[in-house]
Amino acid sequence: MPIQITGAMMLQGVVSGLLAGGLYAMVALGLSLIFGVMRVINIAHGALLMLGAYTTYWLFALYGMNPFLSLLISFPLLFGVGVLLQRWFVHRVVNAPELSSLLLTFGISIFIPNLAMLAWTADYRSVEFLTGSFLLGPIAFSKPRLVTFLFALGIAGLAFLFLLKTKLGKAIRATSQHREVAQVCGINVRRIDLIAFGLGAGLAGAGGSLVSVMFSVFPEMGQIYVFKSFLVIVLGGAGNYPGAFFGGLLLGLVEGLASLLLTAQLSEVIAYILLVLVLLVRPTGLLRGRA
Amino acid sequence: MGPCWKVRVRELLALLTALAVVLIGQAGTVGAQAGKPILIGASISMTGTYAKLGNYTRDGYLLCAKEVNDQGGLLGRKIEFVIYDDRSDPPTAIKLYEKLITEDKVELVMGPYSSPITNAASTVSEKHRKIMVASLAATTSIWERGYKYLFMTISPAEVYMEGLIELAAERGLKTVAIINEDTLFSKAAAKGAADLARKKGMRVVLHEAYPKGTTDFSALLIKMKALNPDVIVAGSYFDDAVATTRQMKELDVNPKMFGVTVGGDVPDFGKQLGKTAEYVYGSTQWADNIPYPGAKEFVQNYKKMFNREFSYHAPAAYGACQVFAEAIRRANSLDPDKIREQLLRLKMTTAFGDYQVDARGFQIAHKMVLLQWQEGKRVTVWPPQLSDGKSIYPTPPWNQRR
Repeated sequence: MPIQITGAMMLQGVVSGLLAGGLYAMVALGLSLIFGVMRVINIAHGALLMLGAYTTYWLFALYGMNPFLSLLISFPLLFGVGVLLQRWFVHRVVNAPELSSLLLTFGISIFIPNLAMLAWTADYRSVEFLTGSFLLGPIAFSKPRLVTFLFALGIAGLAFLFLLKTKLGKAIRATSQHREVAQVCGINVRRIDLIAFGLGAGLAGAGGSLVSVMFSVFPEMGQIYVFKSFLVIVLGGAGNYPGAFFGGLLLGLVEGLASLLLTAQLSEVIAYILLVLVLLVRPTGLLRGRA
Repeated sequence: MGPCWKVRVRELLALLTALAVVLIGQAGTVGAQAGKPILIGASISMTGTYAKLGNYTRDGYLLCAKEVNDQGGLLGRKIEFVIYDDRSDPPTAIKLYEKLITEDKVELVMGPYSSPITNAASTVSEKHRKIMVASLAATTSIWERGYKYLFMTISPAEVYMEGLIELAAERGLKTVAIINEDTLFSKAAAKGAADLARKKGMRVVLHEAYPKGTTDFSALLIKMKALNPDVIVAGSYFDDAVATTRQMKELDVNPKMFGVTVGGDVPDFGKQLGKTAEYVYGSTQWADNIPYPGAKEFVQNYKKMFNREFSYHAPAAYGACQVFAEAIRRANSLDPDKIREQLLRLKMTTAFGDYQVDARGFQIAHKMVLLQWQEGKRVTVWPPQLSDGKSIYPTPPWNQRR
């Protein structure tokens, strides 16, 4: 049954895709940050996202807190969780072969959701805060997604400013460019590791808070975001921070348009074909160079 | 750090090996001793996509076991369920049934939750000549493989949306759009709905599948919005049903009727969506106001044992287990061929409704009902003889709701 795709539908697809992409970008930025600094592939990123989502959910369910306000709690909380994870576990594998960090974070990514399941059950929960949409002519801007998108952009923007302008941010970038040289220049790389993992976890947590406004919250919700984040950082170039950002928007757009023009089943196929193509043609990512 | 680390790993390995030896030793002794309870193995989706519904299934089994034991057990022995979590993953279920049968040496098995997992798991039970009463598999094709020991207890997927299509046709609606998860059951339910709609002279303007785990339905909904069908049918499980409904509001999609196959009958559907759930139709295998014998008692006992609301999955599992128990009593043996003979012959009404199968083990007696969310409650609206309310029609557009 072929269906006539009109301009308005295309535009709606672009809007929906970009709105989804903003969130991918922010979450992937956290993953990219951790990889950039430590060469650690953090598979537990999705688990951290889930914890952020539950933080927002519980604050909303128990105290009626505005989910967007709860970002002020979920970000620092997950920053703390990240720092502890780094201090207790991850620092042991920073200089080890990449398989060690994969195994470690894989373990954590199984442990945390199962713990969450014990504590909170496997029930799907939702933060019923913003629903509905603004209609702009034929185009619907979903309220929760629009607000979420703006927050994701804002948070990612702040993270960029921090990386570009502050001394600490520069130290993080220096460490990610060349660990040894950074160390020789007097940067305490272990401290940078802590902060980078904390920031990465905080971004995941903030992502979780934002996801909870749009989708159901449950212990295994993080999984798909890990996959998407990997895709994003491959598209953008591993450790390339602006790349992660554009990769996120691009992935959202590709998914949105592919499922509109083809079928929803094919949209993931297209996304992964894109991944393979990028790996073949530009293995360093679509944006050349590293931040 | 290096060498010290290695020692610890070695110690840990030794500890694990010791633990494994102890556990295997125990498992070996269980099957050998008579007079011990009859172990019934099952894998259930306690985590993952089907967790919510899987857990109700487990509840149903546990309640059934308790009641059977309170009444003196089966063949003079108590029954006991051995349940593992298959994480909503068919390959995992295959491994678990293999383990249940060959390592844990369970004497009987019961089905897991969902069609795709039953489809996979039944290959194991059939191979080992174990009867599998599939309490929650509704896909016809599972019974077209010629399996001997597999029995169906719920209505097939194809008729899930019969009520919705019936009502739509009565109202003279012309077009229907169908989306479904691209897994076994949802596909069959969607196809069934499409066939029924065509039979009633309606036009299927869209029929598209989405991958399991999809959370973003924008693109599908944009297409539907453009087509503006009278009826939208979602061949869904739970989380996708919730997401589709919510995103329909976000994208301002306004069909005259909107129905979901699974998920709409779960109490959490209303709890999660609040007012957004209003007017949505859901189909269900069972509702607590249908006067099946023992249904009231089931509701009370369930509340007593688990202290929460439930969906039809709990009574379905409970009913299937009761049917299985009755067949075993009549066979007076755990021999699979003797039980099979009884299951083929049995006609029974449990708290879940009617049971009767054809020669394939395919269910032919059980009835579906259609419900609609009205003021936060699930009201059964079809078929007339089993209903306690009337459907509210048409579904008002989102911008006219308060």
